[in-house]
Amino acid sequence: PLSKNPPEQHFQLSPAVRIAPTNPASFWLSAGEIVVTEVNFVRKCVGPNSSPDDLWGKLVCTNFKISFVTHVVYDLLPLQKFQYTNRLLGEHDIPLAGVEQVVTVNEAKGKQKVLGSNQKLKFSPTELMVYCKDFRMVRFRFDEAGPDSTKKVCLAIAHYSQPADAQLLFGFEYTGKCFHSDRANGLDPGSSLQTALFDCSSDWDREIKRTGASDWRVCSVNEGYAVSPSLPEFFVVPASLADQDLKQFSVSFAGKRIPMWCWNHSNGSALVRMASIRDPLQQRNLDRRICSAITKSHPKCSDVLKSDLDRSLPNIQEIQAAFVRLRQICVIEPFEENEERWLSSLESSKWLEYVRAFLKHSVEVVYMLEGQLCSVMLQEEEDRDLACVVSSLVQLMLDPHYRSLGGFQSLVQKEWVMAGHRFLDRCNHLKKNDGEECPLFLLFLDCVWQLMNQYPAAFEFTETYLTVLSDSMWIPVFSTFLFNCPRHCAERSRDFAQSESIKLGENKALRFPCVWYWGHQFSVKDQALFNSPLYVGKSVTCVHNGTVKTFRRTKKSHSATLRGPPSLPNGLTVELDTLTRRNSLALRLKPDPWQPREVPESPAERFSCEWLSRPVDLQGLLLPQLLPSHLQLWRLYFLRWVPEAQISRGGSVMAFHRLSLLADEIETLQNQLRQHRGGTPASTPASTPGTPDQESSRMYFKAGTPDDLPSTPDYLTSSFPFSPVGNLCRRNILGTPFSKFLSGAKIWVSNENLANETL
Amino acid sequence: MEKSGSADSLGSKRSSSRQPSVDSLTSTNTTRSDRSAHLRSAVSPDAASARTDLGAEVLKESSRIAEGELQLLPRESVQDTASDVTYICPFLGAIRGSLTVTNYRLFFKCLDKDPAFVLDLPVGVISRVEKIGAISAQGEVSFGLVCKDIRNLRFAHRYQEGSLKKSIFELVNKFAFPVSNALRMFAFEYGQPFPENGWKVYDPLAEYKRQGLPNESWRITKANEHYDVCETYPATLVVPANIPDEELKRVAAFRAKGRIPVLSWIHPETQATVTRCSQPMVGVNGKRSKEDEKHLQAIMDANAQSHKLFIFDARPPVNAAANKMKGGGFESEDAYQNAELVFLDIHNIHVMRESLRKLKEVVYPNIEESHWLSNLESTHWLEHIKLILAGALRIADKVESGKTSVVVHCSDGWDRTAQLSSLAMLMLDGFYRTLRGFQVLVEKEWLSFGHRFQLRIGHGDRNHTDADRSPVFLQFIDCVWQMTRQFPAAFEFNEFFLITILDHLYSCLFGTFLCNSEQQRLEEDLPKRTVSLWSYINSQHEEFTNPLYVDYANHVLYPVVSMRHLELWVGYYIRWNPRMRPQEPLHQHYRELLAKRAELQRKVEELQREVAGRAAVAPPEKAGSPAGSPVQTCV
Repeated sequence: PLSKNPPEQHFQLSPAVRIAPTNPASFWLSAGEIVVTEVNFVRKCVGPNSSPDDLWGKLVCTNFKISFVTHVVYDLLPLQKFQYTNRLLGEHDIPLAGVEQVVTVNEAKGKQKVLGSNQKLKFSPTELMVYCKDFRMVRFRFDEAGPDSTKKVCLAIAHYSQPADAQLLFGFEYTGKCFHSDRANGLDPGSSLQTALFDCSSDWDREIKRTGASDWRVCSVNEGYAVSPSLPEFFVVPASLADQDLKQFSVSFAGKRIPMWCWNHSNGSALVRMASIRDPLQQRNLDRRICSAITKSHPKCSDVLKSDLDRSLPNIQEIQAAFVRLRQICVIEPFEENEERWLSSLESSKWLEYVRAFLKHSVEVVYMLEGQLCSVMLQEEEDRDLACVVSSLVQLMLDPHYRSLGGFQSLVQKEWVMAGHRFLDRCNHLKKNDGEECPLFLLFLDCVWQLMNQYPAAFEFTETYLTVLSDSMWIPVFSTFLFNCPRHCAERSRDFAQSESIKLGENKALRFPCVWYWGHQFSVKDQALFNSPLYVGKSVTCVHNGTVKTFRRTKKSHSATLRGPPSLPNGLTVELDTLTRRNSLALRLKPDPWQPREVPESPAERFSCEWLSRPVDLQGLLLPQLLPSHLQLWRLYFLRWVPEAQISRGGSVMAFHRLSLLADEIETLQNQLRQHRGGTPASTPASTPGTPDQESSRMYFKAGTPDDLPSTPDYLTSSFPFSPVGNLCRRNILGTPFSKFLSGAKIWVSNENLANETL
Repeated sequence: MEKSGSADSLGSKRSSSRQPSVDSLTSTNTTRSDRSAHLRSAVSPDAASARTDLGAEVLKESSRIAEGELQLLPRESVQDTASDVTYICPFLGAIRGSLTVTNYRLFFKCLDKDPAFVLDLPVGVISRVEKIGAISAQGEVSFGLVCKDIRNLRFAHRYQEGSLKKSIFELVNKFAFPVSNALRMFAFEYGQPFPENGWKVYDPLAEYKRQGLPNESWRITKANEHYDVCETYPATLVVPANIPDEELKRVAAFRAKGRIPVLSWIHPETQATVTRCSQPMVGVNGKRSKEDEKHLQAIMDANAQSHKLFIFDARPPVNAAANKMKGGGFESEDAYQNAELVFLDIHNIHVMRESLRKLKEVVYPNIEESHWLSNLESTHWLEHIKLILAGALRIADKVESGKTSVVVHCSDGWDRTAQLSSLAMLMLDGFYRTLRGFQVLVEKEWLSFGHRFQLRIGHGDRNHTDADRSPVFLQFIDCVWQMTRQFPAAFEFNEFFLITILDHLYSCLFGTFLCNSEQQRLEEDLPKRTVSLWSYINSQHEEFTNPLYVDYANHVLYPVVSMRHLELWVGYYIRWNPRMRPQEPLHQHYRELLAKRAELQRKVEELQREVAGRAAVAPPEKAGSPAGSPVQTCV
């Protein structure tokens, strides 16, 4: 049944007001949310043409979302349902911030129009297509609906999805309302959050201590954003630099961004990020002084190596273009049509090439830190984009702490949110400057996925987590993705408070919830989807008793051949190369099979190769394999809405399911053991309800439930926990593939083309 | 790779059950390569857990021996050893060492490196030996070995002109091609005893009985007992009950190579069947055969659920039509009423061979940094895989959802037909997804139905340009691997199993893949004179088992046959590349978790027993106290 579980009974975090008259189970408003307009008797299409499976219901536009409320409880197959519930959004809901484009169609009149904000609509639409940033394409038909209200809804959707001002983003209403309600700022159950936000000096202090960065200190020169507008109030600098120096240096840097410490290797090497020096006269001098300060902070006084990101990595526009091309081939082009050219289309999108470039560059930085024992300075013009990706990846590879859920969130907080990645602009929430839009964060998540795909047991979280995190960018409630930098966040919050005449307490500002408070979106049960059974299962400490061995592969010669660099006597190579080839062999094969193709190997590659030849220690350094053949398309993210690509009762979830059951059993046993050890000689040993040990398991699938039957639940598909049903309606009724309009265009369907297009 | 593992059953010391025997370990492996250690740890995660009960010293000992020393198989004998040979590794450059040739393998080692560098491969994988260029100024000659397992090896060694001693590569040439040199294949020498006789894995009567045959519509016939209806078919066949044996011969006259339509699989509920045959001998004049038409009608009638019969012709329509010139062709819908003919567009063996050649070019030795995907696309390898899987999917879907019987054929019915019928059966019947069931499937649809392994692989045959060679079976295994990727819990076997099968396809260590037909195998007396691959596999099945496997009763698998899900099997095609570490095997982690669970269970039970014991001694009122109430215990 489609009727959605309302957000759960013990609902505490996200105050939701349910609206009575409609189906109470399938529609609710969040705090601060109001209905703008609605239309009844709307059909949501599940396929390219009308289908008896289409859903009938009411289309509602609020100030937060487009909601589709079904009147009837449809008896759909379980596999057509989402397997989780978002507390802010129903299964058929689309957050307005996630709308990329709104297209209205009048079939009879042969008209189409891409609706912008504040536009007029001269025809009454029979159809509405909503293109979403998360790759969904949803289609509504209005054959039975009143033309006036239809028009109103379409215009409202277009208008509200393109807010003119940041304050019109729903998060302000939401946070304001929450502030007013009794649970003021109770939204932040700070205690339960294991994520360091790095908005106070103590978080940085702890990080310094954790990484053993002894000659580094937290500086507060930027308190009140007095020095740099885009740096956080607190950050870490070499201990040898005084505040006075910093202030003096800051003037010469782009954005007045004083170089900022990211992380320390246990060997003492530091990772630092730095914006470009704007003042050419100061360049050399400043550079020298910064470097010598960093060198001084290194216990061995090693050199500082520089890594110029702008020169070696794709820029914002290129990444955005790659993303648009990828979207094109994944969801817009008809499925069968590009099957034959799929691989080359994927290649020419360049998305995977860029993913690989970032990973590869990060490996090089890892090599400098780990292999050359040097501190590294990441240099980028503004230090707010590429450096975020590279520094986070480097830390993920080097530091297992960041591969835990809390650690990963802290990492994003530190290297993205606090470092001033311009989420507002990159997400293009205000749809003002398309040139600034770039899915850099998604690219980063894809890189993480590649690592996770290669080392599934090394991460505490799952790919579902990464996907859901990415989707959260389009829910404009979380401070994480709403602002361009901490100062921006602080100012906007203050202004909003003033305009709403909210009296601020000692906290001084309205506090927007950050995305890490997952309770805003998901129940505890659904949050279990984030936990990787391999990580959980293994983290259960096993009693060593002589019988259980550690399973780390101990074989020394993981690969006998890979030790060390090839050291060949020079004369020999030359001699062999000059051997004349026999034509019989060389005839058909263009590359001579006997001639070792010269692959120039950089020291970083050799380092990587050598590492790959040894057994992996999942709690140690982790390097990705970077042969082009090792990078894969992140299918869950990019293909989850494509019905044709859905493997029913298949996909990696099948393994996840099996592993979860096992991990759950292990946890249960562990709890039992602890109870026994705790000295409770219960005659009914297993369960003593109420003890802390009985905390709900961390696994989504639990052993001993119906899930544990030999037959696996039918709803498990490769799209799990999402469902493509009704979420991807390619319109091919025009007889012209949409792709025709789309080559190179930033928007999915360009205005002029469509306006002129007749049916 | 052969240095470790609990292959106790393989060695001479089999009596001491958990004692690893070093020589036996070496003996069974054929995937000998410079990457071998790597490979084993990659594809056989299970080895790790299996190994845990071995004493540490034994492990150390075995790895020391295996690292640098040649371990001979029973009746394997060293033919010659040449020191001062250079292996020109495409990844590591030139490596100097010694090269040993036996009647089974080629063994190169370099002890200067630490750990020792070893290259160890059965000579059976060599498809040609070429002398490259002239003798160099230093008096060195280069030799290249092209291998069937997607790699090329190049050596150089000093060669004295006019010396009486022959170059060691002449020996390689001799032992790699026993057939061309009138020698016995090593499979006939190797007499390793195993606890189980793999030749008994497949018993046709038992398999048909499992399928519920014979029944009122289908009978088992011995008409081909002496292989005179069809010499490439097995002795035991299942045909429609109302077609007498005499008529089968007349049907055989109308089907290419006498390969009449016979049953491969029957649906347990609907009675829809998968039947296979070769093309009808229609010719340019559109010849017809009443017996053949009646035969197909009988196949249709045997399934009461449907009044239709689907004939899947694996070929592209153009090829099918072209075959008419050679007397073959396809069923016309006029002659075969109620039959619908579908072409599946799968190309012939020559196209496939060419595709694999291109693939090898793209993946070996190095992968070009740019254009990887378009290079891969240009080999069309995955496209062929896709067409084969798509064909099998259509067959499975017709049988399962359409409840309709199908007839599958190509030209001769031993290449594409075998691919399609076996893959469709794998989708339809969970039995074939078990470790043993898969062996039955290969024995039945491939070996007994006469896939011409000898000809397609060219065992021991020097003629590497033979147009009959083609990677048909490799494609099948690749398709199976693709399915295991999409359904990670639906197969009892793991990737290592598939790779092992492919390695022994070429090794000529076992008799399983020798010869072209059941008849030939009996003539050669293979079950007596050689060892079956399944003997080896079944005696250490843990290594080949997928721990995630769940027996989904009656689950039909419908893979998504799209380029979006098909992948190049890097664990096979790119395994020689040192920059590739096999995927972190989920299986291994799963096994670790299983062990952890077992340990915890044991602990809990122990404690429970202890508690029960204490409770028994304790005063009665305490034993009866409610659970969880605090009791004074040791602090």
